[in-house]
Amino acid sequence: MITKTFACPGCNTQISSQGNPGDKIRVVCPNCGKKGIAIFAVDKVDSKTSTAPSSIEVADLTKKYKDLTAVDNLSFNVRTGEIFGLLGPNGAGKTTAIKAILGLIHTNSGKIKINGFDIKEEGIEARKSVGYLPERVAFYDNLTPLQTLHFLCELRGDDKSVAKPLISEVGLEEAINRKVGTFSKGMVQLLGVAQVRIGNPPVYILDEPMAGLDARWVKTIRERIKMLNKQGATILFSSHILSEVENICDRVAIINKGKLIAEDTVANLNKYLRIKPRLEISIPGLSGRIPEVLKDLKDIEEVNAKDDKLFVTCESSVRSRVISMLEKTGLKIDNIKTIEPSLEEAFVKLISKDEGGV
Amino acid sequence: MAMINPKAIYTIAKKEFLDNIRNKWIIVLTIIFVILIIIFSYVAGAGGEEIFGNMETSVIGLLAVSAILIPLIAIILGFSTISGEAESGALYVVLSYPVRRIEVLLGKLLGLGSVIIASIFIGFGFGGVVIAVTAGGESWVGFIGFILLSMFIGWIFLSLSICVSSFCKKRITSIGGGIVLWFWGMIYGTVIIGILYGTGYTFEDILTGNVPDWFFNSVVFSPPDLHQTAVMRAFGISTIEQMGFSITLPEFLNMGILLSAHLIWFIVPLILAYYFFKRRDI
Repeated sequence: MITKTFACPGCNTQISSQGNPGDKIRVVCPNCGKKGIAIFAVDKVDSKTSTAPSSIEVADLTKKYKDLTAVDNLSFNVRTGEIFGLLGPNGAGKTTAIKAILGLIHTNSGKIKINGFDIKEEGIEARKSVGYLPERVAFYDNLTPLQTLHFLCELRGDDKSVAKPLISEVGLEEAINRKVGTFSKGMVQLLGVAQVRIGNPPVYILDEPMAGLDARWVKTIRERIKMLNKQGATILFSSHILSEVENICDRVAIINKGKLIAEDTVANLNKYLRIKPRLEISIPGLSGRIPEVLKDLKDIEEVNAKDDKLFVTCESSVRSRVISMLEKTGLKIDNIKTIEPSLEEAFVKLISKDEGGV
Repeated sequence: MAMINPKAIYTIAKKEFLDNIRNKWIIVLTIIFVILIIIFSYVAGAGGEEIFGNMETSVIGLLAVSAILIPLIAIILGFSTISGEAESGALYVVLSYPVRRIEVLLGKLLGLGSVIIASIFIGFGFGGVVIAVTAGGESWVGFIGFILLSMFIGWIFLSLSICVSSFCKKRITSIGGGIVLWFWGMIYGTVIIGILYGTGYTFEDILTGNVPDWFFNSVVFSPPDLHQTAVMRAFGISTIEQMGFSITLPEFLNMGILLSAHLIWFIVPLILAYYFFKRRDI
C-alpha cells in the first residue's frame, strides 16, 4: 500500500490517499469539495535508474511574482545518468523552475540541490557541475564565437584550447571570426549548444535546446544529447516539442500552472491514462467512409476514416474482433498498422484532466 | 560573505575593457580628451606669447566642460551594463557559470573604469605634455591632480550608472535613470542659487561671496561641483575671481573633505548596486 500526497488544484490543500500500484482512487478535497482521481504508479522506473542517486533535487519549490504563482510547490528529482524531460504548455513554469534550479531567480520557498550542493548556500559549487542552455540564449554581439568561448572558458577556469573543437562540433567553424551580432537565431542557438560543453560538466540543463534550429541541427543535437548521456551525463531537458522528449527522455515531469501533474516514464504515463493504441487499417476503395458494422461496436473509443485508411482506437483485446468484422463485410484489408499512443496524447489528456479536476 | 574570486573579476573586467577597444570607443574618448585640452589651452593662450596657455589656465577653462562630459561618458558606459545584458539574455549565460554576482559587478566596474582611466590618462596626459613643452609645466602637480580627479569623477558616475542599471529592469528605464543622474549634476548649481535667491540673497551677494556657509558646503551633494572645487584646490586656488569680485573658498572645503565626499559618492552607489543586483531575478 502506497500513500500519495498532492495539492488540490482548487484550493492547494494537501490531500493524502492510499492505494496499490496501478490503482486509480477517487478523492474529494476536504476543503473545497473538488473531486478527482489519485493515480498510483505501476512499475514506476526500471531497475537501471531506480537505485541511482539524484543529480538534481527540487523540493517544494514555489516562486511568486506579485499575485502570480509561477511555480507552485514543485518537487521532482533528476536521477544521475538519466535524461529527464520537463514538459508543459506555454506559461506552465518550466523556465522559471529551471532558472530557480540555477539560482538565477529568488524563490519564495523550497530546497534545490545540484550534485548534492544547495544552490542557495553553495551556488558556486553547484554551478561548477552544470552546463546551461537558456531558452532565450544570447551572447555579446561584438565578440566572435571564439572570443565568446574563450571568455566563458576563463570564467569556468577551463582550458581555452577546447573552444575551437566545440565550435567545429556545432558546425560554426566557417563563422569563427564573424561577430555574434551578425549571426542568425539558429547560429546563436548552436553557439549556446557549444558553450554548455565547456568544462565537461556532469549535469546539463537545456531549456528548449532545439528551438530555432532546422531539422538537420535538431537531429544533430538530439544525437549529441544521447551521446552525452551515454558518456554518463545527467540531462534535464525542457521542450514543447513532445516528440523530441518522447524520443530521448528516460522520464518526464509534466507541469501545468506551476504544479507538477505527473512524473514518470513515458510508457507508464500512457499506462496510467490508459491511452489506447490506434489501428491504421488500409482498405482499398474505402473513400473516407466508416463501415456500418463498426458504428455499433462497443469497446471502440474512436473511429474515423480518411481516404482509404480507417483509424480505430480500441484496447488490444478488441483488435481481432474489429478486423474479423471488417473482413465479414467483404472489405479487402491491405495492411494493418498499430500506432502506439504518443506522449503528446498523454500530455494533452493530463493537462485537460488537470484543468477539469484533481 | 563567501570568498571572492579575483580571477573571475579579472576575466569580466578584461572582457569589458577589450569590448571597448574592439568597438573603438576607447580611441574616440581619447581623441575627445586630447582635442578638448588642446582647444582650451589654445583659447587660454590667446593673446599671449605662447600658442598654448599654461597648465593651470588651460585646466580651469576646460573644467566646466570636462565636469559635464566625463560624467556623461561614464553614464553611457555603465547605464545598460546590467539591465541591457539581462534584457538581451547574455547575463543568463554568465550567471549560470560558477561566478558570484559581486564578482560580475566588480569586474564590470573595473573593466569600464579602466576604459575611463586609460582614455583620460592618454588624452589629458598627451595634452599635458604638449602644454608643458610649449608653455611650460610649472603647475604639473596640479595637472596630475586634475587627471586623477577626472578619473575619480568618471568612476563616481560609473558607480552611479551601474547602480541605476542594477535597479532598472529594462534598458530603456536605465537610459531614463542615466539622464536624471546627468541632469542632477547639471542643474544642481542653478537649484542652489535659486534657493539662495529665495532666501533673500542678491546676485551681488553671490559675486562678493557674501553668502551663508551652506552655499559652499552644498557642493558635497553634487559630484561635478565637488570635482571642480577639488581641482581648484589641487592647483592651490582658494580664491575665485569673477566680474571684478573675488570669493574665497571656505576652509571647510579642504582636500581631505573633498576627497572623502568623492569616496562616499563612489562607495554608496556601489553598495546599493550590489544590493539591487543580488536581489534581482535574472
